[in-house]
Amino acid sequence: MPQLWWYLALSAVLFTIGVVGVIIKRNVIAMFMCIELMLNAVNLTFVAFSSFFQDINGQLFVFIVMTVAAAEAAVGLGIIITIFRNRESLDVDDASILKL
Amino acid sequence: MLALLFIIFAGMAIGCAVAVVAQRNPLYSAISLIGVFISLACLYVMLAAPFIAAVQVIVYAGAIMVLVVFVIMLLNVEEEERRRPRLKFLVPVAIGLAAVLVAETSFIMYSVRFSPFTPTENVSNTGLTSQIGTGLFTTYLLPFEITSVLLLMAIVGAMTLTRRSASLSPTARIVPGTQILAMDILTPGSSENLTAVETDTTTEAALLLGVKPRQAPEEDEEI
Repeated sequence: MPQLWWYLALSAVLFTIGVVGVIIKRNVIAMFMCIELMLNAVNLTFVAFSSFFQDINGQLFVFIVMTVAAAEAAVGLGIIITIFRNRESLDVDDASILKL
Repeated sequence: MLALLFIIFAGMAIGCAVAVVAQRNPLYSAISLIGVFISLACLYVMLAAPFIAAVQVIVYAGAIMVLVVFVIMLLNVEEEERRRPRLKFLVPVAIGLAAVLVAETSFIMYSVRFSPFTPTENVSNTGLTSQIGTGLFTTYLLPFEITSVLLLMAIVGAMTLTRRSASLSPTARIVPGTQILAMDILTPGSSENLTAVETDTTTEAALLLGVKPRQAPEEDEEI
């Protein structure tokens, strides 16, 4: 029977991989996908706590986090397309002055 | 049996997550990320949260990843080139910070494992769709409504960001007849490129600028 801390450990590992990806990646889209990975790691923590303590609130939070992630995907990809249109590159070092 | 399933799905998730970071081609990263989402959905089913598992597959592996893959293919991204590592002096700092993070995480694990609040052993009926619906429409009604406003803002924001004539002034008009447009108006990034773009018709110029053509003749300098 899996224990609660198994899920927490898996979530911590996934979150760490996401952080490492955001730090070492230079492609904007790859960084974006690593952020999604981190959001999913947090979702796993919510669902694990919710299931083990029989409290539905954690799963409602996951629902809201997913909605925010969808909104973030739409706006983030719009920003990525605008950056690419203006700079012809997806490298974050080329867009470091925060000005289009 | 459950432990074996957990190990299988957790291994899949970690392996695919490592592949997301390790791949140089963003498309392969996206495919690996879908693998992470699917294995997390399996873990949600094991945690007796079928609704969240279904939403995970539909929203994440479906909608969001289709959007990401679409953008990757639209922008035609090549593999990123390998670079020389910079900021070598920060490596010890990074190792120290990672040690702090590991210590914090293991402390949380320790507290969870030996806390007096032990999880109940009953058969769980949390996670049923009806319970989630009840919670969303009673306790969390206001956050739910705010979420809809947030989605509307995301739609408007994405459309505004990706509009081609975002930098064009609102007073710009299209005059009937042949148009000569500066390259700078069409693509604001190309300030060094001063080539003029010649169009044959008014509608073609309106298409390039992304504005509606006006019927009334106006002065040229307003463009």
